[in-house]
Amino acid sequence: MIRYEAVTKRYGDGPPALDGLTLEVPAGETCVLVGPSGGGKTTALKMVNRLVEPTSGRVLIDGRDVASTDPVILRRGIGYVIQQVGLFPHLDVAANVATVPKLLGWDRDRIEARVDELLDLVGLEPGTYRHRRPEELSGGQRQRVGVARALAADPPILLMDEPFGAVDPVTRARLQDEFLRVQRTLRRTVVLVTHDIDEALRLGDRLAVLATGGRLEQYATPAEVLARPATAFVADFVGAGRTLRRLDLLTVADALVPGRTTGGGPSVAPAATLADAMAALLTSDGPSVPVVDGGSVLGEVTLDSIRAALRESQVDVEVDVEVDT
Amino acid sequence: MVLALLIAVPPAVALGVAAARRPRLAAVAVGTAGVIFTIPSLALFALLVGPLGLGTAPAVAALALYSVLPVLRNTVVGLHEVPPDAVEAARGMGMTEAQSLWRVRLPLALPVVVGGVRVAAVTAVGVATVAALVAAGGLGDSVFAGLRAGDSTEVLAATAVIAALALTVDGTLALVERWLRRGR
Repeated sequence: MIRYEAVTKRYGDGPPALDGLTLEVPAGETCVLVGPSGGGKTTALKMVNRLVEPTSGRVLIDGRDVASTDPVILRRGIGYVIQQVGLFPHLDVAANVATVPKLLGWDRDRIEARVDELLDLVGLEPGTYRHRRPEELSGGQRQRVGVARALAADPPILLMDEPFGAVDPVTRARLQDEFLRVQRTLRRTVVLVTHDIDEALRLGDRLAVLATGGRLEQYATPAEVLARPATAFVADFVGAGRTLRRLDLLTVADALVPGRTTGGGPSVAPAATLADAMAALLTSDGPSVPVVDGGSVLGEVTLDSIRAALRESQVDVEVDVEVDT
Repeated sequence: MVLALLIAVPPAVALGVAAARRPRLAAVAVGTAGVIFTIPSLALFALLVGPLGLGTAPAVAALALYSVLPVLRNTVVGLHEVPPDAVEAARGMGMTEAQSLWRVRLPLALPVVVGGVRVAAVTAVGVATVAALVAAGGLGDSVFAGLRAGDSTEVLAATAVIAALALTVDGTLALVERWLRRGR
């Protein structure tokens, strides 16, 4: 269990980066710190392993103030994943994963067995990947090695700072799925930082929404944040993402204006999402995008027709949200 | 020449490590080494013959002094070029400062440091030739003997050997550098 007690961080004389944060992350849960940049998310995360020290207040792990533990010892017991992954480019995958076990003085056989176990866990076949170097891996594979390295010494706590930020959306979605799968079996206490509300809603058992200036606006489950945003800031932050998510759920067919089209430029298929249609609309020169199915023109999509489709589906979406809650 | 490098490299690297995180020390150290590096070799020999006498001692001392700048500068640059995320990860996983230096920062800076040693070694070959003037012997003797006797064959032969030596040293260290950079 991790507990923040009235934690404030100030750099110099400026406004606080984190302002009186109090919250508790129950053991085995994933707490996502989410919000725009300047909200103190990373600052809060780094206080758990003392990469940042609070100006006032304290951070407790299982009731014990982290300030009373030697930072080097503390960090060896906490998994840490950063956005740029920070793999050591001069070491192969196995040596990277073995970093903390080596610092802890494990014997070689135990380290080797653990490395293979972890590579299996993150979906990298040990025989193929053990001796690869980081530069021979794709972005997604590097992230996996980063996660394996953080889990190597079996830490009860895992800190993840934008862990899936540096990969393409398809890979990100896959890594998120795998994170959920791994976390379902391991049940670590995870603090994860992201600026992406969709990722937060997907991965978190609880969300801590932080506003610029490091103020905690709401700390609640994803369903509650969606259904009952505590402040105008949360409603706004979640709201923008909500509309865009709905565009992903609707198809071009929902907003089709049948008949001829005046639009040129990019076209979309009826099965494409409205998010795709919106993107096409934004990149085209005209006010409409032709809808084409296997060479024949079915009609067009316009901003008005997309808006109408969103309004029509409003009722369904609200029902969905209530079901979630 | 090898002796001069052996004398100069460890303190230059140590100074580079110390200077890498102290910009002011780096400026002073690189500046001083830079001034030494720009002193013409003949003048430096003349200065050193005073306290050290003629022979190998002033030659080795001069070569060592010249070697400091490239090694020091490349150590500082090499450590600065270590990816910050790797250093951050090392710290976040509970490495002490010393562990981070030996296991992460120095290994990653090593190819650049070797690049500095390479420059120092090639410089040393050239300067060592002139060291014949302070009675340090070596291939420079043949060059100067040839010049005095008006024997252009001897001068050319000696020069060719010196050039070949410089190229060999340069090529060997370039290979070491490339090997250290493999997979990056």
